[in-house]
Amino acid sequence: MKFLEYEAKRIFSEYGIPVPKNVLIRSPEELAGKMESLGPGFVLKAQVDVGGRGKAGGILMADQANGIATAKELFGKTIKGLPVREILAEERLPIQQEYYLSVAVDRSTKEALVLFADAGGVDIESLAKNSPDAVRRVSIPLLMHDLPPFMIRDLLGKAPKEIGPVINMLYRVFSEKDAILAEINPLVTTPSGVFAADAKLIVDDNALGRQGITANRDLSEREREAEQHGFSYVELGGSIGVIGNGAGLTMATLDLIEFYGGQAANFLDVGGGAEQERVMRAVKLVAGVPTVKVIVVNLLGGITRCDEVARGIIQADVKQPVIVRLAGTNEQEGRRLLDGKGYRMLDTMDQVVKAAVEAVK
Amino acid sequence: MIYGDKKTGVIVTGATGKQGAFHIPLMNEYARSVGGRGIVAGVTPGKGGKEVDGVPVYNSIREALREHDATASVLFVPAGGAMDSIMEAANAGLELVVAITEHIPVHDTMKAISFATLNGCAVIGPNCPGLLSPGEVKMGIMPSGLFSRGNIGVISRSGTLTYEIVDELTRAGLGQSTVVGIGGDPVIGQTFVDVLERFEQDPMTKAVVIVGEVGGNLEEEGAASTDLPIAAYIAGVSAPPEKRMGHAGAIIEGGEGDARSKIERLKKRGVPVATRPSEIPRLIKELI
Repeated sequence: MKFLEYEAKRIFSEYGIPVPKNVLIRSPEELAGKMESLGPGFVLKAQVDVGGRGKAGGILMADQANGIATAKELFGKTIKGLPVREILAEERLPIQQEYYLSVAVDRSTKEALVLFADAGGVDIESLAKNSPDAVRRVSIPLLMHDLPPFMIRDLLGKAPKEIGPVINMLYRVFSEKDAILAEINPLVTTPSGVFAADAKLIVDDNALGRQGITANRDLSEREREAEQHGFSYVELGGSIGVIGNGAGLTMATLDLIEFYGGQAANFLDVGGGAEQERVMRAVKLVAGVPTVKVIVVNLLGGITRCDEVARGIIQADVKQPVIVRLAGTNEQEGRRLLDGKGYRMLDTMDQVVKAAVEAVK
Repeated sequence: MIYGDKKTGVIVTGATGKQGAFHIPLMNEYARSVGGRGIVAGVTPGKGGKEVDGVPVYNSIREALREHDATASVLFVPAGGAMDSIMEAANAGLELVVAITEHIPVHDTMKAISFATLNGCAVIGPNCPGLLSPGEVKMGIMPSGLFSRGNIGVISRSGTLTYEIVDELTRAGLGQSTVVGIGGDPVIGQTFVDVLERFEQDPMTKAVVIVGEVGGNLEEEGAASTDLPIAAYIAGVSAPPEKRMGHAGAIIEGGEGDARSKIERLKKRGVPVATRPSEIPRLIKELI
């Protein structure tokens, strides 16, 4: 789950990372009486979860005289489709130099990857491509509590030593908050020290429970409903509903739909060992999507038993045609249950997908 | 046989849980059918003294190792205890842990793998179906009925898609040497590179199918690391862009974790890539 900037900054500052003076407001009026603490000039930043927020008009400069009017203007905007409900008002810093700092999961080394760049506020991907020396990286096993000093020296190069402690603080945020990304871009130097001018924090969805986070905000309504039943679910907008078991097989089913010229309405992985009740809920959930004209069930039973799947399909009793491919554990029993009840049964995933694409044409 | 054979003694951690109790008999049934040793002991802290399918259960791996000769473990413990169990197995001197458990927080996985590596223990998974060498050993949850013995290696990030590919191979008369499900999580223990290295040492394996998916660049790393003939299938061509890990993530993946560019880069290396699972047998036949 991705945190908003003000939430990330609150956490970063708990770990000792200096952030600019700021206040969060939910209406323009809330700014009155709070501006003085921010100094003569300040920045208003829309708290919306989109990339390229500044370019989309989500960051405005303001001062004491026009602060409330500017906040009113920003609250009236939608940034890349999202309404502005919260604004972070922040002191304007006398910036000397900008840097980039992040800690992320490195799939290749299976360790934390710490990146530091001599230029901040930039597109780090193109910086890495165009001037590789400006981006430095170290990998550190998460069993370590801090980065050893030599790693910090390697990262900093000629950058000011006072940044060193911030690297360790951000590494601790990463490590204690179960983050998959903790990023400060830009990290700025000013006459009064180093500050995190922006902050980004993404926490592993599998660790939300032990981090005390109850709901995953990144999900849509239907995705949340699906999650309650234990399904992986993504809505895609086409006319063919897809239910499979296992992410790979379900994804391959979507690919095959595209290959045969159709459009999938969704991705639904019922997971391993789905029983009648869960299959029934899955079929009903997919049938409830307004664009769905036909449903493909592609099941390869390992832990999952085909007879349970068949019972779930029958119990769901949906109006759209259901085309079924069942293979593996208890396959014969599953087929026997579905036989003669109006469901189309085919032997391979190629066949079911082809049939579904033809059915909606 | 690359991770074990008939003679391998296997311990199941999380033996008394629902999954453990369900799969111990299935693994033992397979072991009996091929004349292997199968599951020699189970471990569940606090449940020592019990039995599952005739297999004695102990409180710890060390306790089990005092009574039985084993080198590998298969893990069915819930996500919250998985890191601990992997570390325990590695610390007790086991050479291999097959972690079936899904939804393990990625930090736990990283710590467990670092610790296991320090102890010289290989981890397969997590979030994987395990491995099966037809005619020799099954350590995991794969439906063994689809498999046949032969000389094609299979390495896959996806469980059910593995079965789909194995089924295609078997029906085309192409038996398998070993099938390894390496798991679909962002961080996994044994990667394509590691498994391919073992396949290279394995006289039985003549060609390898790699089954990958959107995200990361482990498939390319694998393809670049071996001289064995490889065919690939990559799932997720139609998948919408994954929730990005942000800039740093994009750097790790070179900004090219999507399926289409992955397929292009594999093809550039001369690896034939199937557009659907049913094409795999033909591609493999052209290689051998």
